[in-house]
Amino acid sequence: MRPRNATSYSAIAIVAGLLFFSATPLPAQWLGYRIPGVPRTADGKVNLSAPTPKASDGKPDLSGFWESDTAYFYDLAKDLKPGDLVMQPWAKALQAEREGKEHQDDPLSDCMPPGVPRINMSTDAMVHPFKIVQTPKLVVLLYETSANSTFRQVFLDGRPLPKDPQPTWLGYSIGRWESDTLVVETIGFNGRSWLDTAKGHPQSEAAHVTERFTRRDFGHLEINITIDDPKTYVKPWSAKVPVHLLPDSDLIETYCENEKDEAHKR
Amino acid sequence: MMYYQFTVPWIIRRVRDVIPTIAMLFVMAGLASAQWVKVPLPGTPRTPDGKPNLTAPAPKTPDGKPDLSGIWTTNSGKYLDNLAGEGAEVPLQPWAAAIYKERHDTQGRDKPQVRCLPHGAPDAMLVPGYPFKIVQTPGETIILEEEFNQYRQILTDGRALPVDPNPAWFGYSIGKWEGDTFVVQTTGFNDGSWLDNGGHPHTDALHLTERFRRRNFGNLELEVTINDAKAYTKPWKSTTIPFVLLPDTELIEHLCENEKDAPHLLSK
Repeated sequence: MRPRNATSYSAIAIVAGLLFFSATPLPAQWLGYRIPGVPRTADGKVNLSAPTPKASDGKPDLSGFWESDTAYFYDLAKDLKPGDLVMQPWAKALQAEREGKEHQDDPLSDCMPPGVPRINMSTDAMVHPFKIVQTPKLVVLLYETSANSTFRQVFLDGRPLPKDPQPTWLGYSIGRWESDTLVVETIGFNGRSWLDTAKGHPQSEAAHVTERFTRRDFGHLEINITIDDPKTYVKPWSAKVPVHLLPDSDLIETYCENEKDEAHKR
Repeated sequence: MMYYQFTVPWIIRRVRDVIPTIAMLFVMAGLASAQWVKVPLPGTPRTPDGKPNLTAPAPKTPDGKPDLSGIWTTNSGKYLDNLAGEGAEVPLQPWAAAIYKERHDTQGRDKPQVRCLPHGAPDAMLVPGYPFKIVQTPGETIILEEEFNQYRQILTDGRALPVDPNPAWFGYSIGKWEGDTFVVQTTGFNDGSWLDNGGHPHTDALHLTERFRRRNFGNLELEVTINDAKAYTKPWKSTTIPFVLLPDTELIEHLCENEKDAPHLLSK
């Protein structure tokens, strides 16, 4: 796993409950390899303010290695004003109970996937990046989570969302371009994952999550997330998550080894 | 053969492998719109009746290379059981031969998948009933493994194999083309995985070479060279492993949930 320097006590309390494969110092593999075809300044550093590159089909190219601002892993709704987020009574009760227990019953701490959109979020104690690999009809997202390495696929080949799909942790995603924004819609959740980790905002199997990816420039991405889950929330609500490029770097494999990590579970 | 949480799609895929046409009609009637188990994929060469033409030539990428992209699967469990092929002589070091015998005699009871740990390379691609998808792009070729929802990256951007990497289940892979063959080199393995369910061991010294060749639209072939001086007295080659394309379909999310699956896994 990738440690980082910032410390935050509540963050550590939560992350201590997360499983991790091994706590090793910054490893030697491919970190610092200068990826060809990347805009650089005169001193060879990646030019994070260069314009957004274009893909072979003329669309903005979102491909790259990214890390989100970490606050949204803990509370996806942190920027909302009072009244923006209104939970159904059962959800309000559940959320209050979860908030007090420091993500003890979070399936993520049992090595299950983080769910969507939480899988996009990095944390204060460990870097959890993801890689976007964009092709004209398929966008693949490769994730380095605190559970297992895993992936999502976003289909841009015109297929509709499936009717009555088998419930999953990461859903079924289709995407389309609206001008320079990739709009990703995901349904088919199993209702077991949490939207965030300190607050424990619930998500039901009825959730329809929209992630709007906009690449502002070479080094900066934004994901505008809308949660439309009438079973859980009285009305849809949205969060804007800033994401930055991790230059000349790459994914590290992560796997939970459940018995070994038993001691970490709370 | 490991049985994880028994889901309907697993059964359907298995049936489809064995009795293609009849099962497909049954599946389509029941699950046509369920979750992309049957979804027409653009760019698929078809015969006049609309069926995918599995003997059409292998497609090419814009830069003229064969395109390996597609969903592939093995049609037999025998490659996962024994990567070397039945009756083949494998040049095991004595300690490795002892381990292999023990694993073989216990039918692989302690293999890593029992604890929801991944297969490695190449065996994650050899699991019957769990296909994989190749997504070939200029800078990297990705292999999405349906079993346990995992991925491998094969970097094709010119980088060399890493020096002294943190050991990983799938290692670190680079790839390049030799004519029509995609040659993948992988090092940096941890020593946790088995080369096959029969239990051929490997160490962290493993240097794996995989040679992929797409014979036509519906057929892919793989040859593996195992170079691991700690476990084997000399490099050895696998039997040639054939994969068949699964057209007009999609991967299904799959996960190992340890507590739930423990009774199934330990039943041997």
